Amino acid sequence: MLYYVRSGNYSMDLDLTFEKLIKKQAKYESTVLGLNLLISRLQKKYSINQSPEELQICLQEMKAFFEKFGSILEKDMEALKKL
Amino acid sequence: MFVSLNDAISLIQEDKILHIAADETLLNQLPKGKWIAGTTPYFITEQGGITCKDKLFVSEITCAVDYKTVVYEKSNIFDITKDAYPNGMTILIMPFASDVAVFYAKEAPNSDDLLMNPTVGWISGYDLSTNSKAKVYEGTTGICYDDKAVALHICLSDDKMASLGIVNIFNTDENDVKIEFIEDSLSVTKCFANGKEVILSDYIVENKIDTHLPLVADYNSVLVNVSIKSISEKNKMVDFYAPVFAGKEYRFARSVSNYEASFNERLQGFKDVKPIFSCNCILNYLYGELDGKITPPFTGPVTFGEIAYQLLNQTLVYAEIISK
Repeated sequence: MLYYVRSGNYSMDLDLTFEKLIKKQAKYESTVLGLNLLISRLQKKYSINQSPEELQICLQEMKAFFEKFGSILEKDMEALKKL
Repeated sequence: MFVSLNDAISLIQEDKILHIAADETLLNQLPKGKWIAGTTPYFITEQGGITCKDKLFVSEITCAVDYKTVVYEKSNIFDITKDAYPNGMTILIMPFASDVAVFYAKEAPNSDDLLMNPTVGWISGYDLSTNSKAKVYEGTTGICYDDKAVALHICLSDDKMASLGIVNIFNTDENDVKIEFIEDSLSVTKCFANGKEVILSDYIVENKIDTHLPLVADYNSVLVNVSIKSISEKNKMVDFYAPVFAGKEYRFARSVSNYEASFNERLQGFKDVKPIFSCNCILNYLYGELDGKITPPFTGPVTFGEIAYQLLNQTLVYAEIISK
């Protein structure tokens, strides 16, 4: 499943990057407290139940966070795009 | 702002939305209004840290376009996420050692919705030289509680957003011994030190660990402290001010040679922050001898626990309102 995060005048596919973060296959440190806590929480959540269903739940949480706080996560989205 | 009782009463009578911290003798004299409060006699003001029972620390929440105050208990504390405004911020105050605070401390990191709603706040306290009890106040009724939490939910205009941050002066060294726990708990006997099961109280004594230093866990680069409350060598029990969690790796913080200097050094990166709320930990205040010391740009109550989404220890917490 693909989804898109929109911010400002661009959109991008962050699905794979989010998946890597949740699976601890990639590392990204934000300056936004809430995002760091979310990444940490989802990594822990997924490590306990490494099922495709759990991964989708984690991805949806990440997507919801970026949708709600997109306006303060533009730098993060740019950086994640390059991850 | 650090104001007299009369000034605080005036602000309430002017219908301002307020967050207040003060000794309970003052809070008991406040009229009903748009405010919540918690007890503490310790503050960091613009003039420095002070223990004071004749002034109140009042934060006027001018950014709010709407507000509501809600009282919670253990059974419904996580309704704060349902009650929060879609675009807003919640200031939460809970009494020290109350059931609701303990429950929140253990469960907040597992809450699915909490990170979607900026939640900042503190654990109310009391004068440590007395046998007082920590309390919170809900201003629209004027009722105080020692067993419930109180929240001020703030609605922000569409062009604004709340942003939370922390200042933690502690660091760890990855080469230091890794401490792990088998369950989420505020009190532990055993733990694993680099994979070897040990009695934590013995480990602390044998390794001459300074118990002023917290255990620190890394939450994706956010260092979260767990401070030691007490050690019983007799019962082999270590009590903490916040829970330790299974599955997290902890390390004891590196020692801080000069608390004030460390704070000042760390605060250099926060000069441009314009906090609408901040609080600092009583352990920083005591161990760091912050009495008379300033921590610009941060002022506010000195607290028995700090909340930035989840419960924190030995940490300065702040909230600011930024333009989208």
